[in-house]
Amino acid sequence: MTRPEPRLALTGAGVRYAGRRRPALEGVDVDVRSGERVGVTGRSGAGKSTLALLAGGFIPRVVHARTCGVTSVGGLDVTKPLDPGALLGRVGIVFASPANQLSASKRTVREELAFGLENLAVPRQAMDTRIDGVLQQLGIGHLADREPLALSGGEQQRVAIAAIIAMGPTILVLDEPTSQLDPAGRRDVAALLDTLAAGGAAILCAEHDAGMLGGMERIMVLEQGRVVGTDRPGVALGRTVAGSVGLPSPSLVRLAEFAGVGGDSAFDEAAIAAGLSSASSAIRHGSLASRRQARTDDWRTPDRAGADSRPVPAGWTPVRDREGVEVEFDGIHYSYEGDIAAVRDASLRVVAGEAVAIIGQNGSGKTTLVKHVNGLLRPDAGEVRIDGRNIAADRIERLAATVGFVFQDPADQLFERSVEREVAFGPRSLGIDADLTAALVDQSLEVVGLGHERATNPYDLDLSLRRLVSLASVLAQDPAVLVLDEPTAGQDAEAVLLITSIIRAWCAGGRTAIAITHDMEFAALAFDRVVVMRDGSLVADGPPGQILSMAQAPLLASTGLTPPPTARVAAALGLETAPAGVDALLSILQSDT
Amino acid sequence: MSATTGYYIPGDSWLHARHPLTKLLGVGFILLAAFLLPPIFLAPIATGLLVLALTAGLLAATVRALRIPAVLLASIVAINAVLYPGASDPWLALGPFTLTGEGLTFGLVSAGRLLTVFLAAILFLFTTLADDLMEALVARGVSHRIAFVVLSAVQLVPRMQVRAGAILEAQQARGLSVRGSPARRLRALVPLIGPVVLGSLVDVRERTFALEARGFGAGSHRTAYRLVIDPPIDRWLRWGLGAASTAVVVGALLGVGR
Repeated sequence: MTRPEPRLALTGAGVRYAGRRRPALEGVDVDVRSGERVGVTGRSGAGKSTLALLAGGFIPRVVHARTCGVTSVGGLDVTKPLDPGALLGRVGIVFASPANQLSASKRTVREELAFGLENLAVPRQAMDTRIDGVLQQLGIGHLADREPLALSGGEQQRVAIAAIIAMGPTILVLDEPTSQLDPAGRRDVAALLDTLAAGGAAILCAEHDAGMLGGMERIMVLEQGRVVGTDRPGVALGRTVAGSVGLPSPSLVRLAEFAGVGGDSAFDEAAIAAGLSSASSAIRHGSLASRRQARTDDWRTPDRAGADSRPVPAGWTPVRDREGVEVEFDGIHYSYEGDIAAVRDASLRVVAGEAVAIIGQNGSGKTTLVKHVNGLLRPDAGEVRIDGRNIAADRIERLAATVGFVFQDPADQLFERSVEREVAFGPRSLGIDADLTAALVDQSLEVVGLGHERATNPYDLDLSLRRLVSLASVLAQDPAVLVLDEPTAGQDAEAVLLITSIIRAWCAGGRTAIAITHDMEFAALAFDRVVVMRDGSLVADGPPGQILSMAQAPLLASTGLTPPPTARVAAALGLETAPAGVDALLSILQSDT
Repeated sequence: MSATTGYYIPGDSWLHARHPLTKLLGVGFILLAAFLLPPIFLAPIATGLLVLALTAGLLAATVRALRIPAVLLASIVAINAVLYPGASDPWLALGPFTLTGEGLTFGLVSAGRLLTVFLAAILFLFTTLADDLMEALVARGVSHRIAFVVLSAVQLVPRMQVRAGAILEAQQARGLSVRGSPARRLRALVPLIGPVVLGSLVDVRERTFALEARGFGAGSHRTAYRLVIDPPIDRWLRWGLGAASTAVVVGALLGVGR
């Protein structure tokens, strides 16, 4: 029997969910052939996940919706009634959450990979050969006997992909596969896709991460379910395509456009640096200002953002006067029950008005450390002091008046029937009077751009907006210290800019912000200090320009991180410090000339 | 406790080595015996189960686990002791309540029956991998979909416990107090239960997608990678447990010992 051709072809494809006024997807044309990687990007809610579900054969078979057009997966139109077994040999789909893709019942990775083969009724004697082949192909043989749920997020996602590959599909569809991974995990997944494409797979990958998108052959930009354009990454993510609907371009693409580097080299840091050097004469002659003006924050321009785009948020200003506080971790040591130390002898002082980013790979102890600030964890040794006072005896709910904690997963928090009630829950729990609560709720919803969603049930919003509801609900507590755990995970570029502006305004008002992040560009842009953790210890602490510079690349690499792209380009231009984003780099170049 | 293994405690005791269906049949036998045999048998059965736990190296864990049903069992005894309807042997009047011998006896017997079944069930969970149970059921011809429902049920409580812990942290961090008067504690349940239920529904949706992606709904025929060992002694044990269960049911029907 001949294997079906690894080709994914959508022609005029559309999807409309029941009860929705607008189609989630409309008139989509895309053709992904053997060996090709095509990325899909756009705002949260633009239709990326719907496209993945359609291309993966889940719509309308598993997720019921009306479809139109043709969606041919390996020669099979998945919008027509079909045998699910026939689809399994053609296409595999990978989702964002690594842990939820695993069976959660298998004790080893080898057994996890066998789960799909069992369902395909592959004879037991043939399973080991297939499993060994996939483990070797994907370079994860060392994980074979590990417990899947005990692996890191990056390792789990590689296992999830391997489990799909073991079933033999030639087309792979991925829906934001790296949104919950640290930089090392993202690199692993990117390398994996390279390997699979080289082996002849056709790959369609919905993503926000610029690093991942830069490695694709083509990028399709979606906006409100429609295709804005499909082109090479440097072009699709630049001004002419993504910029036409107000999507911010990735840093490297912005720099490439400034440098006049073509679309094929938009992710080539050396070419960009060379282009910037040769553009120095233009900079000297003052044309930089006009270039920058034309490029400044397109996302803020409502007429370019489309009718349904988020309203432009107002800047955060304090609703009431509140003194900033100093937070001090002094020799913190913490071990989980029966486990090795998660935090070892960690000391850190954060003064009022300071914004501190804590970076490090998954499992380095970041979350464990910050959970001590509001008493969620109590140290085995050492002290946490707020304004010089040991908080060991303070209850969590009391500390909530001083420390606001935004958790990574909004599902742990949201329960009210409207966004407004959800945001008001914190201040009410803290006994803040009704008038002040109302003012805090108004302010918090305006800040995150959700003032028009007050009456909406939080669960009717997409995950990206639910995260913003979660942020607003903590801002409404009006704490002196804001702690954020991975605030930009899975967020689009607009939301990252929004969160950056909130943190800057927050600290300008004398409050303190501490955030855990894997996003190096966000760390460089939003924070005054960057602290690096590795194996439970603090290993570096300093301004982002120093910590995120190429001089610290070996240290960052030791905890699975890399300097942000602007720092790498800056280093190629002979600059020693990491600039806080594209504008800062160009300002440095301008001032140097 | 991990979400993969649930309540399973790794070990190589003779009880761990038993086939999952043997242990499942054992739980069934204890269930029948606890509710159909005269109450006089409850103490020996419960003692026997504790001895089993001791020989499997699980006595300490089993005793610790008793805190799970402790409140329920104590309430059953207390409520029946003072509110048993139609009791004719009052011991002590306590305001509107009257402690009766019949009520106390009924409460103790009811609690004893539940305690016995709980001991059997917890020993089963401590010594049986959920995945082994699923494979054993499928190998005996049970639909793999039904077997997976059983597996999910076994894993449900550990998964919800992990989620509930995270939710409690998130709500306390927003100022929710879980102390104070009963009314206040009751109100505090709303922000805890809501996310547990909604989060579980989201989990179910994601897991359904993941299972579909792995071909779980592809067809009725399925093979197995992991073989669950079924020693000859287990077959004899299952015959024995089957016969004993039948004897208990027949004895109950005939009114033996009443």
